[in-house]
Amino acid sequence: MSVAIESVDLVKVFGSIRALDKLTFSVDEGRIYGLIGPNGAGKTTTLRIISTLILPTGGSVRVFGHDVVHEAAEVRKLITYLPEEAGAYKNLSGYEYLQFMGGFNSRDTADLKQMVEDAARISGLGDRLKDRVKGYSKGMKRRLLVARALMNKPKLAVLDEPTSGLDVLHAYHVREIIKQYAKEHKVTILLSSHNMLEVEQLCDQVALVNKGRIIVEGTPSELKSKHKAANLEEVFVEVAGLA
Amino acid sequence: MPKPLLNIVTKEVKEMMRDPRILLGMVLAPLIIFPLMGFALRTSTEAMQESLRIVPIAVADFDHEIVAQSLTSFLKSVPNVKVEEMEAQSVDEVAVKAQASNVTSVVIIPEGFSNNITTGEKAQLKVYGVFRSGGIGESLTFSAAQSLVEIFRQNLINATVSTGFPDNPNVLDPLAISQESIIKGRPVDVNPSALYSFTQAQAFSLPLALFMLIILAMQLASTSVATEKEEKTLETLMSLPLNRFTLLVGKLAGSTLVAAIGAVATIVGVIYYMGSFAFGTPTQASIDLAAIGLAPSLLSYVILGVSVFVALLSALALAVVISVFAEDVRGAQSLLGFVYMPLLIPMFALMFTDLNTLPFGFQILLLALPFTHPMLAARATITGDYLMPVLGIGYVAVFTLVILYIAARLFATEKILTAKIRLGRKKPKEE
Repeated sequence: MSVAIESVDLVKVFGSIRALDKLTFSVDEGRIYGLIGPNGAGKTTTLRIISTLILPTGGSVRVFGHDVVHEAAEVRKLITYLPEEAGAYKNLSGYEYLQFMGGFNSRDTADLKQMVEDAARISGLGDRLKDRVKGYSKGMKRRLLVARALMNKPKLAVLDEPTSGLDVLHAYHVREIIKQYAKEHKVTILLSSHNMLEVEQLCDQVALVNKGRIIVEGTPSELKSKHKAANLEEVFVEVAGLA
Repeated sequence: MPKPLLNIVTKEVKEMMRDPRILLGMVLAPLIIFPLMGFALRTSTEAMQESLRIVPIAVADFDHEIVAQSLTSFLKSVPNVKVEEMEAQSVDEVAVKAQASNVTSVVIIPEGFSNNITTGEKAQLKVYGVFRSGGIGESLTFSAAQSLVEIFRQNLINATVSTGFPDNPNVLDPLAISQESIIKGRPVDVNPSALYSFTQAQAFSLPLALFMLIILAMQLASTSVATEKEEKTLETLMSLPLNRFTLLVGKLAGSTLVAAIGAVATIVGVIYYMGSFAFGTPTQASIDLAAIGLAPSLLSYVILGVSVFVALLSALALAVVISVFAEDVRGAQSLLGFVYMPLLIPMFALMFTDLNTLPFGFQILLLALPFTHPMLAARATITGDYLMPVLGIGYVAVFTLVILYIAARLFATEKILTAKIRLGRKKPKEE
């Protein structure tokens, strides 16, 4: 099994704020890895650096061996990124949005058609894909975006709060999509979340992030047993209090 | 066109043309508002002309002698004038009667009027305007009455002078003045006033059309980038295997296409609007530019087209750079507002004067602005002096390349996501 992500001593400074402080972790290929932590912990900053959107101030990140700074174009061919609270183009239909986004990853028309069909199935939106995105609920929009992030079977999908703000049914559907797709296509998933239950159900490996550092890392069951906690929430409260 | 670029341009055009604000505000509104304004102006102009078909004048004659009677007869002889002879004991009584009637002017001939004229004394004549609504119709009919009285005064002078010089038929018109033009070192039989009014009409219409085109294009380009930032679609786009310069060019091309559609709609609307006034200025159409050596050549049109295109590109690139620093559409529009007015307003100076008559510092300032150069190119279509416009194209092209380079640098780095100028709003927390 190869290493999908390798972050070493990652530092990011915004003005006087040290958002990441020597953040080190690695993710094996085909795993679902969750970053959890309070607001301002540095989760989104980490995901944005891995997605080649912002540059680290120090340290390094490699995605399948490619440096995110010096080989950003190569990294972008391997990943998809779903930002938190991302929107879609509201004057396009769901189908048009998928066709537009798929157009950058597809090899030819047949490949694009297959991608859009896959995305339509993943999203479960059916005929509503013919409607313009501006008429979608938040849950429908998120399902469309998750489908977009997975439609081209990326080697790594970076998902920032994939179920943020969704009701129980939509959140359940999105989690099921992620789990099933990662298993079927061996897609590596790196996600951030506030929802401990979600992380516990979904992730093979979890890292608790606070003040730009990883304070504890392991599988959900390892963490619970190590801290004698009933769930990840209790682990989080304990270690965040100690940090 | 490469596939990724085509993909972006298609998306941009679809998104913008389906946005009701853009469709209504930039395409449909000019097509409706300008013709409506034209219709309203045409209707009111026609109403004014209608009001001049009959000029109602009251004459209150307190003199009843020969010259006074002659004035009344003269007014009665004018075809469009309807004279109401008003009998009254005083000016106050005349005023009451005039206000109650439909006359717009009253001529009061005081007692002794004729006697003063025949004896060489200065005679008094009072012309009153009857004020009701203060509208243009009232004002025009009063002016007509005033002009008629002036004609009568001139007739009196003519009669007196002619009587003094019975053997000189030219005494009243000793000068035969003709007005002609010198164009490109050649005398041409064209009235300079007509020529000036023609060229000035051109000098007004092009800056206005250019101003609207540039504002439209800048708004579209900045909205296009700012919406992506606001909706967080830009982050997704920038994580795609897509060359960021292609993304920039795609946005510029999409905005240019939609701005061009908007500009055509605006120009069609403006042409209809301007057409509403055409019947009042027949002299403009009567000038044969080819015959007097002022017909624009094909080359001059090509130079003008290129000049407008590079200026438009510079505006788009500027708008993109500016919108990079905004967090949302509202912020982008506010930032743009600070920038385009100082950039565009100075070029209106060229509507009223030539560049070389301005102070040297102001000339340099105008030449430094990219939007001045299409106006110089427009003027060159008539003068045929292409050096300045061609140099201008070179300058604006370099200016545009510099701005495009800055825009490309911003797109290539995290600045596109992190650069922010906040206009008095709180900084959101970075996760």
